[in-house]
Amino acid sequence: MDVDKATAVISAAGIELTDRRRNSADDGWSLSFSNGAVVEVGDKGDVSASGKGAEVVAGLLGLPGKSA
Amino acid sequence: MRLKSAIVVCASGFFIGAFGPALAAGNGPGPRKDAADDLTLIDTVVVIYAENRSFDNLYGSFPGANGVANASARTKTQRDRDGKPFRELPPVWGGLTAKGVTPPVTEAQTEHLPNRPFNLDDPKGFGLGYGTITHDLWHRFYQNQMQIDGGRNDKFVAHADSGALVMSLWDGSKQAMWKVAEKYTLADNFFMGAFGGSFLNHQWLVCACVPTYPKADTSAAKPSISVVEADGVTLKEAANSPKSAMDGIPKYVSDGNLTPDFYAVNTMQPPYQPSGNEPANDGDKAYADPMKPTTLPPQTEPTIGDLLSLKRVSWAWYGGAWQDVLDHGNKSPVPNFQYHHQALNYYANFAPGTAARAEHLRDGGLGGTEFIKAVDDGKLPQVSFYKPQGDLNEHSGYADIQAGDTHIADVIAHLEKSPQWAHMLVVVTYDENGGLWDHVAPPKGDRWGPGSRVPAIIISPYARRGYVDHTPMDTTSILRFITRRFELPTLHGITVRDAAIAAHDQRPLGDLTSALALKGK
Repeated sequence: MDVDKATAVISAAGIELTDRRRNSADDGWSLSFSNGAVVEVGDKGDVSASGKGAEVVAGLLGLPGKSA
Repeated sequence: MRLKSAIVVCASGFFIGAFGPALAAGNGPGPRKDAADDLTLIDTVVVIYAENRSFDNLYGSFPGANGVANASARTKTQRDRDGKPFRELPPVWGGLTAKGVTPPVTEAQTEHLPNRPFNLDDPKGFGLGYGTITHDLWHRFYQNQMQIDGGRNDKFVAHADSGALVMSLWDGSKQAMWKVAEKYTLADNFFMGAFGGSFLNHQWLVCACVPTYPKADTSAAKPSISVVEADGVTLKEAANSPKSAMDGIPKYVSDGNLTPDFYAVNTMQPPYQPSGNEPANDGDKAYADPMKPTTLPPQTEPTIGDLLSLKRVSWAWYGGAWQDVLDHGNKSPVPNFQYHHQALNYYANFAPGTAARAEHLRDGGLGGTEFIKAVDDGKLPQVSFYKPQGDLNEHSGYADIQAGDTHIADVIAHLEKSPQWAHMLVVVTYDENGGLWDHVAPPKGDRWGPGSRVPAIIISPYARRGYVDHTPMDTTSILRFITRRFELPTLHGITVRDAAIAAHDQRPLGDLTSALALKGK
């Protein structure tokens, strides 16, 4: 999944994107959302979610579960 | 006691500054009408703030109102980013219905819609029920201005992330609040106070101001500074942005939360819990981590709450599910508490541990039970703001119309039976348009708004019955009424808005009194 697709899927659920930046390793994107979730989307397509609201966005993205 | 002269206030830990003279009847903001109006007939003011519906989206077919039937062909015809009319609307990117809705309305099913508004509940069309949760739509500060397009309202589709969905309508006539609007007054010329989304419009409800992030360019929030064209209202498009809305969602160089001069115009998190941002590992558990790029520093502008306290007028903000979320954390889909809807939780005057927080930021209860209990017991303060929890607020993406409308109508029924009803004024409105098209050009105001038109219903024993009020108003009209009724100093943002409206030769914004017949009964 790419960063635009992840953003669109989560935003469609009324969870607003509040921050988007390259991660510190510069190998992917770090996205923040209004429900407190932080989603990491790697340039290779790996995705993980953390923070408040992580379970909700994990469900939307079809991730196996909340990752700390 | 009437305030007769300019005042300086330091009592609550900030400097308000010198205000104008007293705001006794006939001397406050907004248009003056019959001098015999007796505002003291209203003892109790209740503001119920729902989410994300344009006027046309829900009330566009209300009898006697300026509805969709009045929209010109030019406004109904949407134009692409190059200014040319669409031959047909783009599909709803990602599908019309929210994830989990069965049966879904897929993206493919929304292709080839004619270039005009359409009803989602049309049995010959999508035939959706009011309990259907639909895709959310961009409702952001710059996009809203780009969509309004100087008042033409013809670029809603062009600057959306949801394709055709911005042109969707509902026949609201079967909803309970429609009946309430028929009974009392529906304002059909009422606009959201600020362009964009909930975060900023909630600030306009309590402060008529725009939060700031000092020195943002040297802070963690630096990447959230928007890149805007020289006109100050157009986001700079990215090189890889689709040229046509038919080809996809626009992309921008930086579509952030902050303006280039560090005003916070899109969603930031409160600095205090409940906040979307967790506390710092070694920080105060009642605070959000201030180093997170989306944590807004505590704000110090005076709010309407501060001014009410100054005059010893009792007031409270009732946040639905507030205490439950503090105690147990947030849950989805119920209550789906929205942190950025708690407007006063951004202000230092209401920081954790302060007496003001304990007194004024109250738990509305799960499903509004605590607020309704105060209603039933006749224990509402003189001014109340009630914010329904997420699943009951009508916001696209995570809430439907049915649940919120039913809930608010139930609250109204309780209010009508309250011991305080005889001298009560209730305003039910929507914080913003949720990215949904409306055909009426907002009044030309200042840099921050007004934005698109939203529904507003004025409910009171003193409300005009079966009346459609065409007086131009915006979110600050609520503050204007409160200011005038309780003889408060005028918030600076209202003064600036009034001056901007006058400078554009627009009709002055009303203060709700046009919807009332304030004569002794």
